Amino acid sequence: MTEEKLKHLLQKADSFAGPPDTARINLSVLRRRAHHRHIKYSLAPFAAAAILLIAAAIWKLPAKTPDTAPGQDKIASLESQITKLQASTDAAIDLIHQVLEQEKRQSQLNELQAQLASIPDPLEEIQQQVDKTAFILVYQADRLYRELNQTESAVETYKRVIELFPENQWAQVARERLTEIKEKQSYKIDLKGDSKWKLQNV
Amino acid sequence: MAETINDELLVEQFNRNKESAFESIIERYSADVAALANRLLGWPGDVEDITQDVFLAAFVGLKKFRRDCSLKTWLFTITINKCRSYKYKRLLRLRRLPKITDKASLSLNPGAHGELMKTETFERVRHAIATLPTKYREAVVLRYLQELPTDEISKILRISKNTLHVRLSRAREYLKQELAELM
Repeated sequence: MTEEKLKHLLQKADSFAGPPDTARINLSVLRRRAHHRHIKYSLAPFAAAAILLIAAAIWKLPAKTPDTAPGQDKIASLESQITKLQASTDAAIDLIHQVLEQEKRQSQLNELQAQLASIPDPLEEIQQQVDKTAFILVYQADRLYRELNQTESAVETYKRVIELFPENQWAQVARERLTEIKEKQSYKIDLKGDSKWKLQNV
Repeated sequence: MAETINDELLVEQFNRNKESAFESIIERYSADVAALANRLLGWPGDVEDITQDVFLAAFVGLKKFRRDCSLKTWLFTITINKCRSYKYKRLLRLRRLPKITDKASLSLNPGAHGELMKTETFERVRHAIATLPTKYREAVVLRYLQELPTDEISKILRISKNTLHVRLSRAREYLKQELAELM
């Protein structure tokens, strides 16, 4: 089994598959996609900076309201604002945790689904193994008959396929091969018969 | 040689903001890129998306291309990277490889069994290649199907020649086991 044979088999498979569908690559589409990509990547930091500025401005806003309450009231008011901000920050953090948890569960689910999809159906596996075995026997019988000229061994193998896997598609192929061999052999016998008759009648 | 000079000229023109030079690059290499992507992804037939992604990356990155390798090698490197991330995304979406032919329709044709044999052989080869680890599959495709020299493959995969030989050797061992009956 040489490297050359492997290469030949791979190239045969490749030529059987044929070339891919012709992709029409449009320069204007590429330009547009490149432009969108540029906008996305160059504006992202500005967007992030803008969000931070707005957040900082919102944070500072209560500190700019006019100072009308006396000292104690002012402190109480600030304390209640801090409590409210803390509550909303806690709520935002809880929400973020929930989203992260959900994403984690979703990715676990996706992984499980992928694993489930990859588990082969045992009946299908068995059928594939049967198909594979029948195919290999027919393939080997073909080689015995066509390449190595060992008709008897080939016939034995075809008969074995029919015997073991009578309902299989490869058994049908084996039956056709046997018919073909039988026809060739009877044609040869007819030819010999004819030539013998001719010799006798000269 | 002439092609290398032309490629350099095209890159030069592109760098001088002559974007139409890129159309010539697309015309010259889109078939090769599509063929390589098709082989790396297991012959799905439809590789338009990924070919577009490759040329988009090339369009965006051509001005930074350092010319330490040929343009073709560079495009093949991008193709390999895109195929790697494409396979990962496809796995997440649970898509399957499309079958090349419909066996039911084959059985109605007179020469059907011959075709069925070829289809079966092809499916076995495809399965064997698909089950190879990515790094071995890339080496096998570039060496035996693209028929590139080992120097160029080492540059594309960014590995030493020794590592490439080891990967090819292991890939051959695996494929010989999987495809023994077909050789």
